[in-house]
Amino acid sequence: MSRLVKKTPSLCTDLPLDNSDICNKLHLLRQLLRSCFGPTARLKQVHNNIGGHVVTTSTSSVLLPAISSSQPFINLIKTSILNHVSRFSDCGLFAAILCLSLIEQAKQSGLRGNVAIGMNKHLLGLCTNYLQREDCGCKVKLDFCSSQNLITLARSVISSKPACVLTEPEALHISKLAVQAFLLTVPCNSQGIVSLGKIVTVSVEGHAVLNSAVFPGLLVDMHDVFCLNKVDHLHSSPLLSMVLFSVSLAGDLSELGDGVIEVHPGVDIDSQILDQLLELGKQVVRDEVKLFVCQQVIHPVLQQYLRSHGIIVIERLGITLMEPLTQLTGAQPVATMHTTIPAKAYGKVRDLSIRQFGSKTMLHLHPPVESAICSMILCHRNETMLSELKVVCQKTEHVLRLTLREPSALLGGGCSEAHLAAYVRHKSMNEITEAVPALGCSQTEYLLGVEGFCRSLESVAAALEHDGGNALMDLTHAHYWTHRPDVMTENMEESLGFCGCGLVESSPNQKWTYLNTKYPEFSPAALSRDVAVQPHVLDSFTAKLNALQVAVETANLALEVRYLIQDLN
Amino acid sequence: MLGSTIINHRQHVGLQKLSGLAGITHSFLGPNKKYKFIQDEVSGESALVFSCFGIFENLQLTCAVGQLVYETIQAQQKVYHTGSGCLLFLAGAWSRAALEFLQSGISVADIISAMSEGMDICLDVCRKCSVSTDGLGVEKPTVEASQASGHLQGTTKVGHKTLHGCGQRKIKLSRHFYEARSENASPVPQPHQQRPDIKHIAEGLSHGCVDAMNLVVEASRIQSKSNPQDIRCSMFDVTKVVTCVLPGLPEDQACVLPGCIVLVSAEQALVAHHLKEQHLKVALINGDLAETYRHLGFKKPTGIQCVSDQSDCSSSSKDEEWMEKIVTLLLNLQVNLILVSGLVSEKVIQRCCEHRMLVVEKVKASVLRAFANATGAVPVTYAMQWSKHCVGSGAKVAIWRDLSSHERKPSISVNISTVANSELVTVILTSCVQSKLQAVEEQFWACAYRLHHTLKDKVLLPGAGVTEMLCIHQLQRQATQHVKHHRAANHYRAAVLHLMADGLIDYISTVMVNTGRVSKVRARTAVSQQLQDCNTCRGVDAKFSQLFLEGEQEDSDAPAVKIYDNLSVKQEAWRKALDLVFLVLQTDAEVITGVDQQTDAAQEHLMLL
Repeated sequence: MSRLVKKTPSLCTDLPLDNSDICNKLHLLRQLLRSCFGPTARLKQVHNNIGGHVVTTSTSSVLLPAISSSQPFINLIKTSILNHVSRFSDCGLFAAILCLSLIEQAKQSGLRGNVAIGMNKHLLGLCTNYLQREDCGCKVKLDFCSSQNLITLARSVISSKPACVLTEPEALHISKLAVQAFLLTVPCNSQGIVSLGKIVTVSVEGHAVLNSAVFPGLLVDMHDVFCLNKVDHLHSSPLLSMVLFSVSLAGDLSELGDGVIEVHPGVDIDSQILDQLLELGKQVVRDEVKLFVCQQVIHPVLQQYLRSHGIIVIERLGITLMEPLTQLTGAQPVATMHTTIPAKAYGKVRDLSIRQFGSKTMLHLHPPVESAICSMILCHRNETMLSELKVVCQKTEHVLRLTLREPSALLGGGCSEAHLAAYVRHKSMNEITEAVPALGCSQTEYLLGVEGFCRSLESVAAALEHDGGNALMDLTHAHYWTHRPDVMTENMEESLGFCGCGLVESSPNQKWTYLNTKYPEFSPAALSRDVAVQPHVLDSFTAKLNALQVAVETANLALEVRYLIQDLN
Repeated sequence: MLGSTIINHRQHVGLQKLSGLAGITHSFLGPNKKYKFIQDEVSGESALVFSCFGIFENLQLTCAVGQLVYETIQAQQKVYHTGSGCLLFLAGAWSRAALEFLQSGISVADIISAMSEGMDICLDVCRKCSVSTDGLGVEKPTVEASQASGHLQGTTKVGHKTLHGCGQRKIKLSRHFYEARSENASPVPQPHQQRPDIKHIAEGLSHGCVDAMNLVVEASRIQSKSNPQDIRCSMFDVTKVVTCVLPGLPEDQACVLPGCIVLVSAEQALVAHHLKEQHLKVALINGDLAETYRHLGFKKPTGIQCVSDQSDCSSSSKDEEWMEKIVTLLLNLQVNLILVSGLVSEKVIQRCCEHRMLVVEKVKASVLRAFANATGAVPVTYAMQWSKHCVGSGAKVAIWRDLSSHERKPSISVNISTVANSELVTVILTSCVQSKLQAVEEQFWACAYRLHHTLKDKVLLPGAGVTEMLCIHQLQRQATQHVKHHRAANHYRAAVLHLMADGLIDYISTVMVNTGRVSKVRARTAVSQQLQDCNTCRGVDAKFSQLFLEGEQEDSDAPAVKIYDNLSVKQEAWRKALDLVFLVLQTDAEVITGVDQQTDAAQEHLMLL
């Protein structure tokens, strides 16, 4: 057949970053993401153009997947950031804003592409070396003997998303729960390879946030409330035997697939399958199983049979609970109904109880031995806020887990960025004579590169401010401060209060500079370690370090693109 | 493709939309509600709506703010069945306030922190002025004296709490409220808890729906009467209340009956007639009673082919065979009453009738559960599962009324109940105007849930605007009091608190206007006059509620009925209203996915990525 439409030639864009349309779009994306950054961020209503479900969010993991563009450039950056988010959960917006700032700064500076790239690489090296150092001024060692730092870390993550609409006590409550749940997933006494447990989140809409709670063990939805009566009997027994099916026990021929079966009219397939199911039931009763769980549907006749023998039946468990349940009970999911159940497939449960949350009736399974599985009930007043809270809690869980890999945190509230920028300025000035020949650039280019990189870092800190306040940095510790626009400058130190992370309090002999203005470079002093003063805001060390690398590398990749070839067919 | 709209800050479109949507609710506030017609210009269909929730159910708003509002109202309605009008009104009033702050240059962060503080003040007022339901409405001759002593000790006894069961404050002695004490708060802890006087409480909670509330009270009375072993059972179990809507009858025929009223055909009624005054065996089906019915999650196999040397592989004989089996089984089990949650075909009903078995279809799950508990029957999915153990005993059937009319097919109402107490109550709701039935039903459930939540909370708020007045008073007071101590960071606080209070004033005056005979101007003057009096230490409570009812009871000398509000309903509605304002206020852009660049690029406000 011949072609009906003539093939359109591919579109080739030379030097895409010189294209004003692409630059405008990058700028728009930066504005969009910048406005979502931090605890006082602006929210975005994400929906499709035909009046579909509306999501209100400022979280990168929700927002970025919704963004798609005709510009491959935008998609390149988006994919890179999303990849970071999928691995580390946190600091997605940080990475995106930094990356876009770096691109913009490199364009503005007029540096040759390869010089800008070389400079960025070099300065990234300075940053990562400094952050890894023992005496890094913006790093805090996490002390696992006290939960305080962990709660601060959790709270920083949770309160950074205003779409959760939490009051102070509510945010603290959720932070404590997040830490409690995290601690429950760390096994206490396992030798060899330690594997972390799992937090299963159950969300309940329409109830007070303060009713949210964490339970060791697993909470399973009881779909059919007709069968609750006999549960109380099972408290006394020492350990209850249980069985878990992953195959559907609905009594249909789900394993048949597309095959065809030919039958005689007299044959009743349904009842034959049911007989098979009841055989299974008989074995389970013989083996004194007390809890019968199926990932999918269980035939009501089998359910009735099992219940009449005092067995608690749970159907439609869902795929997500299968793994935690096998971990909790030691049961092996049975994937067929045609053979007898091997003895080793049975699992154990210590105790069962019923819990009620709003309209949900849940069966609480207590682990036979210490187990690293726990359940978190999250309550909130409406669906929008609840779904954001759920995302944020999962993020917090991940951030807390990352602390096990590297028990450090970075000072939050913009202080790390400001501090890092000041450090880079100082350090690069000190080693300018060695660095310039090594990088193969002129001294002017070197200075421009440093300026662009530091300004990008500072602009991320400044992105925390959304209400017209001024972004400042003190000239001793290089921490980040905000200054209300409506206050006179005479009583500066009075109106500043504390720095972003809460470690430094303003004092009369302190000096500040506006961010993104010229200031004499200085070596930012580390704070004397006063145990009594604890930072109020902490960021994940591992996530931020990786985000920094992702941002610089993505920006460098973007700066390196020479041609953009688009197939328009 | 993706587009993004930036909403201009000074004239926040989202807040304007929210305020606009809230305008719909005005006529639904207060005891005298006005109905609204919603007409679809395309299809010509129209709907009569009776509540704020009803509007949103019928409008199907596609805009983002509209969806957010609907979602929030749904959450309120699901748990409380009331309060969504108040929720939306305040969301509107406070969004206008927020808009005003934005226009005068106050930052979003400042607005949020000050409004949150305002909400804390209001919720604190609610907690402090709540009244325990225990012994409420019971005449106490000692009130006068003890109240006087309370008054004297008021200032010194700050923080004196009398805790009982649920930890709720019984006495309202606090720095701020000793002067505004309610008339019949019990100042002395009761020696033993008194049963709440449901009639008195319900009267105060009726909010204009007196008839509906009377039905609720009657239902509660029947429930507690049928529960003689627990005389203190003052819980009103809404889950065991069912409504039966009968069009065509005048509204005064509404009534409450123990048991479950269902409408059946003449033939079934005949069976019911035969079965009356007997203790029946009952079987329950959770699903449809049909040969072809399969349980939820069962996938019909598609690849089955019937291979036969005979040609009749008909399903009719199969169906017949199945029916024969069922009937034999039921006869063996001596079952006379079958309650089915799903559907039953005419044929099956008829066959059962022939054997004097009454089959009732579309029975609510809550009714099935009540029968299961009271008779020992076990609900099953398939009729074949019936055995001796599944069959319950002690069910009753009685003919209630013949509701047949000439045109329609005969329908007779039958009362099915149990010998043992099931606490099941049916409320018969009637109206000559068919389209009004939904309103009647909505009102009944609103009243029922109001009472239910009150008995659960064990506390009440003074109603008729008194709680709001106390909040306004407190907001205004806090606005002037602390402003000096605060640093620059919060110098907008006073303005914000004042405007929040204005929102509440607007609410009260709108309710007063809706109550009738008062103009908006007069209502506002009355409120501000009352606030003045409040500041000069006079009891706001009694005076205000008197004023509130002025329009209604001008010519009668009877003492004004004490009006109450629900604590949890009000608190939740207020919180949710502020949630809405915050979510919208903080939103600065819509991200629209799937925008077609060619067609939508023309729109100026869209920025394409």
